Amino acid sequence: MKNPVTTTHETYPDVYHDAYSRTIFGFWVYLMSDFILFGALFATYAVLCASTFGGPSARDLFHLPFTLIQTLLLLVSSFTAGLAGTAAHRKNQHLTLVFFGMTFFLGVLFMGMEIAEFSRLLNTGNNWDNSAFLSAYFTLVSTHGVHVLFGLLWIIILLLPVWREGVSHVSIRRLTCLRMFWQFLNIIWVFIFSFVYLMGVA
Amino acid sequence: MFGRLTTEAFKHDWIEYLAGLSMVLGAIFFIVLITYLGRWKWLWKEWITSVDHKKIGIMYIIFSFVMLAKGLIDAVMMRAQQAIAVGDSMGYLGAEHYQQLFTAHGVTMIFFVGMGVVFGIINLVLPLQIGARDVAFPFLNNLSFWLFASGGMFILVSLVIGFYAGTGWSAYPPLAGIKYNPGVGVDYWLWSVQISGAGTLLSGINFLVTILKMRCPGMTLMKMPIFVWASLATMVLVVFAFPILTATAAMLTTDRLLDTRIFTAEFGGNPMMYINLFWAWGHPEVYILVLPAFGIFSEVVPVFSHKKLFGYTSMVWAIVAIAFLSFIVWLHHFFTMGAGANVNAFFGIMTMIIALPTGIKVFNWLFTMFRGRIQFKTPMYWFLGFIITFTIGGMAGVLMSIPAADFQVHNSLFLIAHFHYVIIGGTVFGFFAGYTYWFPKFAGFKLNEKLGKYAFWCWMLGFLITFTPLYLLGFMGATRRLNHYDVVEWQPLFIVAGIGSLLILCGFGLQILQLIVSIIQRKKTMDVTGDPWNGRTLEWSTSSPPPFYNFAFIPEVNQRDAFWVMKHTKTAKAQHRKYEDIHMPKNTPMGFYIGMFSFFFGFGLIWYMFWLAAIGAIGMIVCIILHLYQKHPDYHVTAEEVAEIEGRKQNV
Amino acid sequence: MLDAHHGWNRSYKPQFLGFVTALLLTVAAYRIVTHNELSDSLLHVTIFGFAVFQALIQLFFFLHLGMESKPHWGMITFLFTALIIVVVIGGSLWIMSNLSYDLMPMTKH
Repeated sequence: MKNPVTTTHETYPDVYHDAYSRTIFGFWVYLMSDFILFGALFATYAVLCASTFGGPSARDLFHLPFTLIQTLLLLVSSFTAGLAGTAAHRKNQHLTLVFFGMTFFLGVLFMGMEIAEFSRLLNTGNNWDNSAFLSAYFTLVSTHGVHVLFGLLWIIILLLPVWREGVSHVSIRRLTCLRMFWQFLNIIWVFIFSFVYLMGVA
Repeated sequence: MFGRLTTEAFKHDWIEYLAGLSMVLGAIFFIVLITYLGRWKWLWKEWITSVDHKKIGIMYIIFSFVMLAKGLIDAVMMRAQQAIAVGDSMGYLGAEHYQQLFTAHGVTMIFFVGMGVVFGIINLVLPLQIGARDVAFPFLNNLSFWLFASGGMFILVSLVIGFYAGTGWSAYPPLAGIKYNPGVGVDYWLWSVQISGAGTLLSGINFLVTILKMRCPGMTLMKMPIFVWASLATMVLVVFAFPILTATAAMLTTDRLLDTRIFTAEFGGNPMMYINLFWAWGHPEVYILVLPAFGIFSEVVPVFSHKKLFGYTSMVWAIVAIAFLSFIVWLHHFFTMGAGANVNAFFGIMTMIIALPTGIKVFNWLFTMFRGRIQFKTPMYWFLGFIITFTIGGMAGVLMSIPAADFQVHNSLFLIAHFHYVIIGGTVFGFFAGYTYWFPKFAGFKLNEKLGKYAFWCWMLGFLITFTPLYLLGFMGATRRLNHYDVVEWQPLFIVAGIGSLLILCGFGLQILQLIVSIIQRKKTMDVTGDPWNGRTLEWSTSSPPPFYNFAFIPEVNQRDAFWVMKHTKTAKAQHRKYEDIHMPKNTPMGFYIGMFSFFFGFGLIWYMFWLAAIGAIGMIVCIILHLYQKHPDYHVTAEEVAEIEGRKQNV
Repeated sequence: MLDAHHGWNRSYKPQFLGFVTALLLTVAAYRIVTHNELSDSLLHVTIFGFAVFQALIQLFFFLHLGMESKPHWGMITFLFTALIIVVVIGGSLWIMSNLSYDLMPMTKH
């Protein structure tokens, strides 16, 4: 005999809250794995930074005032990213676009300065294939730079729907991940600034 | 246009031609079969684009079986060579071919069999055991599989186009650098490892979040099945170790492609840093391979001893201890590289310590069996085989944890015997136990018991006959990776090992036969109750196979061995529950496409066809964007549909 | 960060505080190096300390580390990450410097 069954459409599980919580935590775990990746690159730099193979060292090559400006640009962009995330949570379409727009602009300036520095080094004959030190430097800093480039692309991809349709649940979730990513990159840069540039010159 | 790809790439010796040809014929056979059966649309809709963890798990295991066949053939070829090539005889394999064999054998077995069966079994079983409907990120799960498959394709394609690395599976520079290995071999190695590694890392994140966030109500951490604990520890290892491999392989890639000097012998580079970083990943990797096997045995032994697991809490602490310790022993892979006594001593002691929690687990399994009502079904055979094999292999490991002893046997056949004893005894036997145990759940019928036992005996005896001589040869001074040797007295042992390898191949053949026979005889061994073994955990509360949404009602638990508790405390509540709509993710082709583009990316970089690499990179990014912009990625299964499926199950 | 739509995700104030602190720390570390008054090892320790402190400031004020409700999986995963990084970087430095233990003294090239 068949069981009498009744059906209900009343209770959808709270997919939005559950999905948000899982996605944010999942993204956090990804960021932790990215910390480990940079950790391995930092370890390599630490082991190889003295191996200049007779060529110039960090002290000879880095210009701290230039790097300070780069650092401050990225720090401000990290701040504006945080403001943008808050604006998104408040479903404020205008401020979300403005703050992420500022983040994007500052990020472009940061990358511009990084490309300028790389060009300067390459044009003065300090290519990465000269020494292990230069290789480790270029590898570590470029990895950070590539992450920033992906972040810039990601900002464009996420802002388009916000511009067209406003801030949805899905957008809040994704923009929060983007905000976390951008702020994570700034933390990595704090270590690059400190260990590669400041300690290199000191 | 074709970079460095010329017709030369297709020229091989006659053995490689044979191998490549049989592989291509196998692929053609498969394509013809699917076309003849008119099943392309079905394959695409039901499998390739599926985000269902059960389907993805089955695909992992099928792929792993195919790679196991290749890896076993590589092995038999090597055993045959070593059985003949003594003194004046050079055998039938030249040095270059032999080097590719042992390299491909290692990568195939570790990455595409070991990791494949680990992620296959966890995919199948984990969500059901925690009372969930799927993993945390179903699309990512699908993507991970296709990245894994793409990585595996590099090894297979290298058999036909170009050649594989001859550096050993660990690919140490400077040999693996551009100066000493300018050809495509090492590049094939790099991309097979890097792309499948990305898939693995994503799965690690996926399953970690699943376990921590998606357990059914009432299932606290200390009420989870031990298999789930083992999976949790494994995923922690994956998330925190794989990025090291990603960074290291990336730096070897830039050394080869862009002339960076990180691991070079000149310009200040340091090849030893590669070895250091590689094993900082590599040691956690072997625990990634073995911990799930421990988890599987913790499920199998209680069920077939008809007794609950002995020492649940200590089992948990043992797993946690193993996971933590596995991060601080890695130098034991290179005791002989020149570190001082204090460094070697520290890592030697840590290595010895890691044997302790493992020993606790072995005793707990044995104490579980003690005074149990034991059913000697095939899974228990694999367990007993594991106990013998893994324990011996583990003891060999403890012997080598003493640096002074290791100096004598490092890179000898003693080492090879050790890791085959623990990996085959652990991962492979563990997988086979899990495979026979959980097969009825996902197929709906049992595997043939008799053939399973024959297969076991071939594997067990074959294994002992193959690898015990290697312990002896290692002590006698035989170095690893030799395609020829001069000590005539060693030959009998090599011949014995060769015979053993054929026996293993028979065992594998019997397993294929078992599968075919079981499918043919499936009506006779059908599992109608969903609980063919009198199980203890939640997966056995579903039908065999489970409905695609796993549970009509998410279970609520309050004790360990939740299903056992449910069976033995009558609850009449089941009758009058209202079915609800179930929210499920849609299938998607994007994972497959991204996997495909990842292959183009790697292949393009290997052969210096940079336009192809660019297409691959852009293709991956475009697919991700399209996936993000997807309007309706989910759908609802209506309560009426659920009721109908549940009703059909009851009427069977 | 890990708590849904309320609390830390909706307030601007902690972010100002975090930003200003990070800014000051950055400029301070820079000035200490450019107006070098400290001995070498003390300088390195100071830079290291400033970096770690600024990272923690940003983790707390920007990434809301420690602000989630129980169970604190975010904090646990972060602490484990920090541990592994210390082990990998520290272990690598120890091992790699120790590898030259038995080498003959090298001539500079």
